[in-house]
Amino acid sequence: MADRTFPIEGTLDLTPAHVHEHTWLEVLHEWVTTVDHKKLGIMYVLYGFFFLLVGGAEALAIRVQLAEPNNHFLSPEVYNRFFTMHGTTMVFLVGMTIIFGFANYLVPLMIGARDMAFPRLNAFSFWMTAFGGLMLYYSFLGGSGLYGVGNAPDVGWFAYAPLTARAFSPGNATDYWALALIVTGVGTVGTAINVIATALSMRCKGMTLMRMPLFVWLSVVTSGLTLVTITPLTAAQIMLVIDRYLGGHFFDTQAGGSAVIWMHFFWIFGHPEVYVLVLPAFAIANEIIPVFSRKAIFGYPAMVAASVGIAFVSLGVWAHHMFTIGMTSVSNAFFVLSTMLVGIPTGIKIFNWVATMWGGKIRFATPMLFLTAFVFQFLLAGLTGIMLAVAPWDWQLHNSYFVIAHFHYVLVGAILFAIFGGLYYWFPKATGRMLNETLGKWNFWLFFIGFHVTFDTMHFVGMLGMPRSIYTYEADRGWGHLNLIVSIGAFIQGISVLIFTTNLLWSAFRGKVAGNDPWDAWTLEWAAASPPPVYNFPTEPSVSSRRPLWDLKHPEDPDWKYE
Amino acid sequence: MSEEKKSGSHVETIHLPAPTAWPIVMAFGLMLVFAGLVTNIGISVLGAILALFGAVGWFRQVLPHEAHEDVPVVVERVVIETARRQVERIVVDEHHREHFPLETYPILSGIKGGIAGGIAMIPPALLYGYLSHHSIWWPVNLLGGAGLANWHHPSTADIAHFYWGGLAVACAIQAVVSLLVGLLYGAMLPLLPRHPIILGGIIAPVLWTGMIHATLNLINPVLDSNIAWGWFLVSQVTFGLVAGWVVSRQEKIQTAQSMPFILRMGIEGSGLTQEQDDEDHKA
Amino acid sequence: MSTATLIPHATHAPEQEWNLPSRGRVAMYCLIIGESAIFVIFVVAYIYYIGRSLTGPTPREVLDVPIFNTICLLSSSLTIWIAERSLERNKIRLFGAWWALTLVLGAIFLVGTGIEWHTLIYEKGLTISTNLFGTTFYSLVGLHASHVIFGLIGLSTVLIFTLLGKVREEHSERIQVLALYWHFVDAVWVVVFTVVYILGR
Repeated sequence: MADRTFPIEGTLDLTPAHVHEHTWLEVLHEWVTTVDHKKLGIMYVLYGFFFLLVGGAEALAIRVQLAEPNNHFLSPEVYNRFFTMHGTTMVFLVGMTIIFGFANYLVPLMIGARDMAFPRLNAFSFWMTAFGGLMLYYSFLGGSGLYGVGNAPDVGWFAYAPLTARAFSPGNATDYWALALIVTGVGTVGTAINVIATALSMRCKGMTLMRMPLFVWLSVVTSGLTLVTITPLTAAQIMLVIDRYLGGHFFDTQAGGSAVIWMHFFWIFGHPEVYVLVLPAFAIANEIIPVFSRKAIFGYPAMVAASVGIAFVSLGVWAHHMFTIGMTSVSNAFFVLSTMLVGIPTGIKIFNWVATMWGGKIRFATPMLFLTAFVFQFLLAGLTGIMLAVAPWDWQLHNSYFVIAHFHYVLVGAILFAIFGGLYYWFPKATGRMLNETLGKWNFWLFFIGFHVTFDTMHFVGMLGMPRSIYTYEADRGWGHLNLIVSIGAFIQGISVLIFTTNLLWSAFRGKVAGNDPWDAWTLEWAAASPPPVYNFPTEPSVSSRRPLWDLKHPEDPDWKYE
Repeated sequence: MSEEKKSGSHVETIHLPAPTAWPIVMAFGLMLVFAGLVTNIGISVLGAILALFGAVGWFRQVLPHEAHEDVPVVVERVVIETARRQVERIVVDEHHREHFPLETYPILSGIKGGIAGGIAMIPPALLYGYLSHHSIWWPVNLLGGAGLANWHHPSTADIAHFYWGGLAVACAIQAVVSLLVGLLYGAMLPLLPRHPIILGGIIAPVLWTGMIHATLNLINPVLDSNIAWGWFLVSQVTFGLVAGWVVSRQEKIQTAQSMPFILRMGIEGSGLTQEQDDEDHKA
Repeated sequence: MSTATLIPHATHAPEQEWNLPSRGRVAMYCLIIGESAIFVIFVVAYIYYIGRSLTGPTPREVLDVPIFNTICLLSSSLTIWIAERSLERNKIRLFGAWWALTLVLGAIFLVGTGIEWHTLIYEKGLTISTNLFGTTFYSLVGLHASHVIFGLIGLSTVLIFTLLGKVREEHSERIQVLALYWHFVDAVWVVVFTVVYILGR
């Protein structure tokens, strides 16, 4: 096949198209009005990355505040806003946007489609998400809260009732939180619908469901999960808005309402949300680990089944965030067991990644470095998760820094590492240039060291009893030195992210030219040019195995013989 | 969207959805509707108007026909190939799953071993009785003591004396326990299918002695207070070695591990095993 | 400036039919799943708060069972189905008639809800802030009513196009997708009706 000429008959214009210099206004217009999934995907990722820097800066400010006892680097009010906005930003404006950016860019390319199923809806969804984020951050200027000055939400990212009631949160900071997230929620649901419709209805010829790249499979599962998790949050936020604007009593304990039911509603969203974020990280791992191990993924059907299994199980575990509210022992037991059940499909995945690497010819390029660390750290994160699933253990450590360390191990150690790996891996496809490997190694090792300095230590601080969300602490609690170490690690990570930003900017203009297939990979996106033309593929591809490019590269030993 | 416009016999341009500003207008409008709630209701009204315009504009883009632009295809020849042509498949040999016991001894062999071992452990026990208390009936009475009616606080001479009842009960206990231990041993054999003597002769007696040592006080206090643990271990090892030796002389049988999943599940279908054979022939 | 590349083509694959589900249908099912999740949360809240209001009025005192409304809305599911069938058989005029009837039935339901709310607010003194019952009742029924409104906007758009003579047989697919949404709105009403007017009283 590789030797066949281009499969279009007739004459073809082989002269380069006339190069038209665009003014910046034309370029801006082109990007704002685009419905191209690739441009939207890039915008999603850039937007998410921008907010990663913002949320990271907030985290650094929090860490400076906590670095030593009795510190007053931030005022208590600003501290509350920062930890609220840090959480909200990282989950809704960073995690969700970057993962949907990846899905937007890659799903159509991987299944050999020209665009998403609904290109205009795609643009609409992106702009909803984008404007929602801007509206949330506008609250720093336009919010009028408790103190009569510009005020961002300060009720924690889970906004527990009754703190969110009008009586306790006057002004409109909390309204900004609820309304802005409803807006981003609409965008998110739109994209989720789009991804599912694309993957199911736009596949190229021969791309059966069991031949879809695992990235696409997991994007579908993620999107399906998004449909049933973001919407309960939207519903709960509508209730909150009704309470605050129309005098409703949903979460008003004075009128018979229940504050606990907000916790239920929030975590019915909140826990599957973690899986919405981590499944795309798995998706990235499923693409990168096989390519850099030069082996097909181990146990493809098991991976698919495990992903679907995780999605289902994750819908029944939410109340493990609430062991301390005094549920019946039957409920406690149920949520302990269902939470531990998550360990089975996730364990299958970890085994499969290790088995994929086993006996492979591993290349430790930067993407693979990040993904190797991902497997290791995700395993640790899962193990502390099992510990916290045990109700008595949770009673002891609930809302302590141990919990913070656990979920940051997932969100940073697993998800952010996978996202970095994914950015190094697909950057050449999106820009036509490689990210610099030397800077990449610096980026990885600094981030790896900084991550472990910060979050390993944080476990100990939590065991020593430091609760989350506290403004400061007394010197005699014995948390001072450990907190200082945590903060130092945070700054190492900060430096590493700055190195990455430099790498991103420098490589986009001066990086080594990549070619179409720099990693010797196997999925369809590497058959398109780098960057792909607006129509992706001039003719519709057709595939006959899970690794169509492997078949072309190794015609004597193609995959379809084995599947 | 993905239809190609064919002019003549080749593709010159590709239909793609035309860029449009209406989605961003509508998104901005909807955001303003919500933003108005926290700022000024006028902004909500403005937002609603924008959103309405956006919706109508968007609608007119899609209906009755989707707006398209034609993107010219410019061909550049790209060949998909790799520098790493050499493929080495991981060789999976027949014994790849060796760690699963493909063959093991039947459980029945464990019972046979138990019987043999039960007989073989009698001489060391009797030897112990003769050497320590000059009476071969000492161990018999210790084991069978429960069978004697008025056996409450026996003296040393009592234990060394011969009783019919003691012998009968001791024989019965020895026979039953030997059979049961043999059964258990047979069931455990797949754990170490290739080394039945190590399992039976060393590992099992040590574990068994430890367990008896810990629990005997509750089961048979008289035996417990008079037992010599060194000799006990010797007779157990004798039991195990003999049992293991008997087992190792038996024929091995195949475990279910080597059968395909469907057969192990007991699902039957016509031609199931036939296909298996065919594949074997091909290979 | 665009470039074209050589694309993988399965050379050995037997030519077989390649059928994919319609993207409109897939998307509508997804939307319905998402919307159902919203309704589930509101319905759970409603059930949880049944009988927990600290002050009156209670549902038994003020609620009348809207039998006529319910019949109208549920039968509209039938009429829209007949309309779909007519379009499939290319009977445009018949389609228009049934479609208009659907629209009228939906509108009757909406007006009925409006009258019910008017009575509740001005005669029986139940507002959204009166008690928990008011809060949950108006939000759940209101959420459903807002879906009816969106459905009616969609239905009227199609009706306008029908009257302009722009609807043809090939639009059947899109119209069925819209009808799917209407069926969903009806199905939700069955749940809302059961919870609010039967269990809740």
